[in-house]
Amino acid sequence: MKIWLFCFVLLWTFPIWASEEELRFPSKPIDDLQTFIKTYSSERCADCHEDVYKQWKESYHSRSMVSSIKGITNFFLVGVPKEWEKELTKKEILKCLDCHLPQIKYATERLAIEIAELMITARKAKGAEKEKAIATLSKLNLSCYGCHNIKVASSAPGITGEIDPNVIYTANEDVEAEHETDYHPALKRSVFCMQCHGVYHAPDGESIYCNTLSRSYADNYLGQGGRKSCQECHMYQKNRGHRMPGGHDLEIVKEGIELQAEIQGFRYGVGKWVPAVNVEAFLTNKAGHRVPDG
Amino acid sequence: MDSGKVLHQEKRNYFEIGLDLDGFMRYGAWQIKEIIDLTLQPLKTQHERFFFTLDKGVNKAEIEVNVYYYISGKKGDLIHQAKKVIVFPELE
Repeated sequence: MKIWLFCFVLLWTFPIWASEEELRFPSKPIDDLQTFIKTYSSERCADCHEDVYKQWKESYHSRSMVSSIKGITNFFLVGVPKEWEKELTKKEILKCLDCHLPQIKYATERLAIEIAELMITARKAKGAEKEKAIATLSKLNLSCYGCHNIKVASSAPGITGEIDPNVIYTANEDVEAEHETDYHPALKRSVFCMQCHGVYHAPDGESIYCNTLSRSYADNYLGQGGRKSCQECHMYQKNRGHRMPGGHDLEIVKEGIELQAEIQGFRYGVGKWVPAVNVEAFLTNKAGHRVPDG
Repeated sequence: MDSGKVLHQEKRNYFEIGLDLDGFMRYGAWQIKEIIDLTLQPLKTQHERFFFTLDKGVNKAEIEVNVYYYISGKKGDLIHQAKKVIVFPELE
C-alpha cells in the first residue's frame, strides 16, 4: 500500500516540478550556440501547445533568419563595414536581429558575432558548408519566447512595468498554465507588431527601414478611419492564428485587393469606325496598410 | 480573337521605386530614411483608365484585366482577373 501511494505522489508531482524547471531562462548571456538554440527553441512549447506550434512552424516567423539571409548579410557585408566603415559588433548586429532573432539580446558579444558569421557563411559558402550553416540557422528564429516575453518587454515598458524573463505573457486574460504565465494587453495591440513590422529605431539613433507597414497603418489607415488591428486580419480572421499569413500568402493578398472592371467595346471615329476599347479599372486596397510592402 | 494574337497591352505598376526624395537609389534597409511611394494606399481606390484602338479588320476581341502580385520581383502571381468578349458591330 505504501509503495502504491509513493508511486502516485511521484507521478502527480513530477510534471509540476519538471515544467517549472524547464521554463527557467538564464539571467546571464549565453556563449554557446547549441545551448542558445535549445534555450530559446519553440520546441520547448510544442508538447503542450501542439496546434499553435504547428501554425507557427508554417509562419515566416519560424524562418525569420533563413528567409532573410540575403538582406541581412547585405547589411553585415556592405552596410556596416563599407558604407558606415564600422566593425561588425553586437550593437550593429542587433539592428537586424533584434527583430529577426530577439533572443540575441541574451547572447554574448562573441556568440552574436558567431551567429552573424554563420549567416555570412550561409550566403557565401558553397556545398556542404553552406547547407550546414543554413541547417543551423533554421533552428534560430522568432520563437515563442521572442514574442511572448522579449518583445512584450519592449512594447510599452513605461506603462506595463518590468517584465519577468521567466514569465510567459499571453493575450488571453483567463489563461491557466503549468508554467508561470501572465496576461499582457500589448499582445492584442498593433503597436506590438509595429515594433518590427515598421521602421526599427536603434538605441544609437539609427533607423532601419526594413518595411514601412507600421507608418502606413498608423498614419494612413487609422487616419482615414480604419479601426482594425494587425491581429484581427492576420490572426483572428479565418482562425489564421500563429500562422500569421502576410505578403507571402496569396489568399490574404487576394482578400486585401479588390478589382472592379468595366469593359466596353465600340467603333470610334465617324466614317472610319475603328474598333476601340475602353477599360475602367478600379483597384481598392482593403488592407490596413499600403500594398505591396514588406 | 480566334487568331490568339495579343493585339494590345498596357500596364500600371504599384511599388516602391527605391529612390529617396532627392532621386538617389536606396535599396538597403539601412540606407532608406524616406522613399518615394507608388504603392496602393490603404482604404483608397485607384482608378485606371485604358482607351485604345485596334486594327480595322478586327471584329471580335477578348479583353482581359489581370492583376499580378510580385512578391520577389521575379515571380508574378495572378490574383484577380476580369474578362469580356467584345464583338464590334459592322457599321457602314
